[in-house]
Formats: sequence, structure tokens, C-alpha cells
Amino acid sequence: MRKSRVSIARPVIGAATLLVGLGCCASPALAHSAEGLSGGFAAGFLHPFQGLDHLLAMVSVGLWGVFLGRPMIAALPVIFPAVMAFGALLAILNVPQPPIELGIALSVFALGAAIAFGYRAPIWLAGSLTAMFGLFHGYAHGAEIPSLADPVAYSTGFVLATGSLHVAGIGLGMANRLPGGTLVIRGAGAAISLCGIYFFAQALSA
Amino acid sequence: MRDGTLPAALIFAALGFALSFAPSRVRLPALLVALTSALVVLLFRFEEARTEAIYFACWACVILASASVHLPRGIGAKTAMVLALAGGTTAGAVIGLTGSMRDLAVALPAYLVIAPASWLVATGRGIGVKVVSSWLIAIAMLAAALPLTPTPGYAPDHME
Repeated sequence: MRKSRVSIARPVIGAATLLVGLGCCASPALAHSAEGLSGGFAAGFLHPFQGLDHLLAMVSVGLWGVFLGRPMIAALPVIFPAVMAFGALLAILNVPQPPIELGIALSVFALGAAIAFGYRAPIWLAGSLTAMFGLFHGYAHGAEIPSLADPVAYSTGFVLATGSLHVAGIGLGMANRLPGGTLVIRGAGAAISLCGIYFFAQALSA
Repeated sequence: MRDGTLPAALIFAALGFALSFAPSRVRLPALLVALTSALVVLLFRFEEARTEAIYFACWACVILASASVHLPRGIGAKTAMVLALAGGTTAGAVIGLTGSMRDLAVALPAYLVIAPASWLVATGRGIGVKVVSSWLIAIAMLAAALPLTPTPGYAPDHME
């Protein structure tokens, strides 16, 4: 028993340290402020980390996946980046813009709430919600891609960063196997949900 | 101006992930097929008018190789060789547009993802490889769509 606790604790502590470190690096500005269009892999990789709204939503996808269990723990990190790429595609093709900011704020709120309540949604609902949220995040990123000097490297960076954030979320979510871990994760979900409300208010006032 | 090194590296990475689901005896021959075909194609010069078609073939190859990890019975020897041939050819072509043999040497190590991927597959954690392969599909989809814009960032615009 003791051995399994140690083996779980190590990746959880590692993921938590990584997330806190990245959180400290995140600027308070939102990710799609039309700045930093220099392009390149590093710019694309750092992009999701520079906006708290994207950061929280993507980590939340991983956290929620842990609550949902198999097969969604593996399916969500596939669905989100895939649909996000499709959303970026719509932006590249100049398809009329959906209410991106509201959608992103909603994603942070809903995913946080789902974690806070430990909501085990049916597979179709969890998949559909994650896909819808991925669409908003993808559109926000994709609107900038055509203007970049090195769009392929940028796209590679931001898709890999998104996936890494999901995996970090899954790593953090493993804490629910520790004593009191579920409470901590649900508390984090509630905090994320509150951030979503803040983003929502910001989007409405803009 | 587009750099062919990253697209070629993504092809080799996709091949590495795909071949981790293939029998271990075909992994080295498949690498040799990919490398040989890339080197042969590098000897040819392609017209600039074919640039978009070559890039499209490159992204299609990344998508095909990445999607093949989901084949229910894994990847057989023939499929592995076809993927390696297609991957090597398109990697050579995309590098041949703007780069040199040195760029191929930079891109080729991406194939080494096969080492951790094979370990994951062998230990029953192949789902991790499938997840990362799906990210490559997303990247390739995005990259394939870029020429649809009137003036992508890499192309000269009206100011140039």
C-alpha cells in the first residue's frame, strides 16, 4: 500500500510543480490579444501558457478526464486538439467568427464546474462538450496563423503544448488517489470555475 | 519561404509512431527504405510550380502514417514498407524543394521516437502513442489548410 502511494505521489508532485511553475510564468493578459505574431515553434508552444484562460481550460480537460475514467481519459486529449485544429481551420478559411471570448470563458467555467462536482458525464456528452470547447480555442489560435512567417512550426508548437497541458492535467488528477486528494482536486475545479465566471464578466464587458 | 526540415521531421516522427505497432523485424528495414527513398528523391530537382502538391503529399503522408496506429490488427510488414516508402519519398521531396542533405540529417532523428513508442506498445500503454499520433494529425490538418488563405505568412505579399 505504502509503495503504491509513493509511486502515485511522484508524478503528481512533478506535474503539480510543473503547473505551478507554468502558472507563475503566465501573464495576466489573455492568450489571443493579437500580440506575439512572430511565429516559430517556441512562440506557438508558449502561446497557450501565456493566457490563463487557455491554460486553465486545457489542464481542466485532463483533470476531468481522470474523473471520467476510461475511455475518456485517453479520448479527451485526442478530441480536444483534433477539434481545436478544425476550429483553427475555420478561422484560416475566414468562416464567420463565433463569440470566441464567451465560448472560452464558458469552457473554463463548465470544465471547472464538472471537476468541482465530480460530474461523470455520459461519453457522448463529455465528448461533445470537449469538442465544442476545442472549437472556440482553436478559432482563437487559428485566426493568427495565416499572418505568421512560420505557420507550420507555430501550429506544431501550439498543438503539442495543448496536448502537454492535457497530460499535465491528467498527472494532477492522479492526486485523487491520495488521501484527501479528491477534495483538493474538486476545490481546484471550483477555483477554475470561478476564474471562468471572471473571464465571462470580462468578455461581456469588453 | 517554407522550411522543409520540420515537415520531414514530422513525417519521420509519424513513421516512428506507426512502426512501433509493426513487428520488430520490419522496423530497421522500413527505416532503410525510408532513408534510401529520401536520398534518391533528393537527387531530383522539382519545379517551383509543384511546391504546393509536394507539401500536400507530405501532410497526407503524416496523416496516413499517424492514422495507421489505429489499425485493429496493428501494422503488417507490407503496410510498414509502403508507409516507409511513401514517407521517405515525400520527406526527400519536401527537403529537396529548399534544403539539402544536411536538412535530412536534421529531420531523420525524429524517427527515434520509435524507441519509447515501442516500449509503450510492448508494455500495453499503446494508447499514449495513439494520443500523440492524433496530435500529429491535427498539426498536419492545419498545415495542409494554410495554402487556402490568399496570402499565407510565408508567401510574399503585395508589399514585397
